Amino acid sequence: MYDLELDRVITRIKEKGHKMVMIQLPDGLKPKAKHIVDTIRKETGAEAIIWMGSCYGGCDIPFGLEQLGVDFLVQWGHNQYLKEEGWSGEE
Amino acid sequence: MDAMMIEARYSGKSISLSPKVIEHIKTKGYKKVALYASVQFTQVLEEVIKQVESLGAEVISSKPMRTSERYQLLGCISYKSALRLEEEPDAFLYIGDGAFHPRALVLAQKDEESFKEIIRYDPITGSMSIMGREDCDKIFKKYQASLAKILMSKEIGVIITLKPGQQQFKVSRKLRELFPDKNFYFFATEQLDMSQAEDFNFIEAWINTACPRIGFDDAAEMNVAMANLTDVLKLSTQPTKK
Repeated sequence: MYDLELDRVITRIKEKGHKMVMIQLPDGLKPKAKHIVDTIRKETGAEAIIWMGSCYGGCDIPFGLEQLGVDFLVQWGHNQYLKEEGWSGEE
Repeated sequence: MDAMMIEARYSGKSISLSPKVIEHIKTKGYKKVALYASVQFTQVLEEVIKQVESLGAEVISSKPMRTSERYQLLGCISYKSALRLEEEPDAFLYIGDGAFHPRALVLAQKDEESFKEIIRYDPITGSMSIMGREDCDKIFKKYQASLAKILMSKEIGVIITLKPGQQQFKVSRKLRELFPDKNFYFFATEQLDMSQAEDFNFIEAWINTACPRIGFDDAAEMNVAMANLTDVLKLSTQPTKK
């Protein structure tokens, strides 16, 4: 029903030679984590780690992932978030 | 570190409104409908637009703050000006599942005199529901009380998130200048958990500078006073201030 675009993820991993992928899913897509991890490992040989924390939006990117050697973060359910300070546009 | 965002778009070719939605718009006689959707559906609205227009109503929309696309609604678009909608609609039509996103449109009308209802349509289940001011009654009541408490308090905690997309440290630092009689203490956190705030018992009230939905939805469930930076800054410019 929703397009996970795993082919795009796999192409990028292969192109860039990524070795450690963090997958970040909103609650509704969390049940898909198994399928995503299994597919990434099978198709690319890269390790895939599941982010356990929140995934509220493009505003909510986990940080400190380099500690685990993560070289590629994939977040589902949102698009590019254009950061601006202030929430009403008036601040 | 490389990063990729995948919208998880609806994989069908198009979606259409149920007869119930059509009937509702017709019965209400709406002439101008503001259309928004979660990013999963922003690219498949063509048929929906045609359906609304065939009722003689105009479809308006915008590309709100922080979004990448026209029609896209984010949960944080909970201030009217953030919608960047140039005209006043008779009603909102939201396409998507869940209540979190369309509730932003209720919150965005917090300070409006005339409220415009939100017609929520879930294209997956085909169900329609209507949201009104009453859906945020509890939030609004708590929020007004919190703002009053912040105005009366001297020792204020200001929550700063480390999440880069939500972080507003720079704007937050205006507070000291705008309210010279208050003491502001800045608190930093990765993921807000107000149970961690209890030990800071010298704080009388809190200002949230992270996601505004923390200050609205989450704060309504907290037993401390908390309001969003946006509204506190507005208070500082009101003429009632000495």
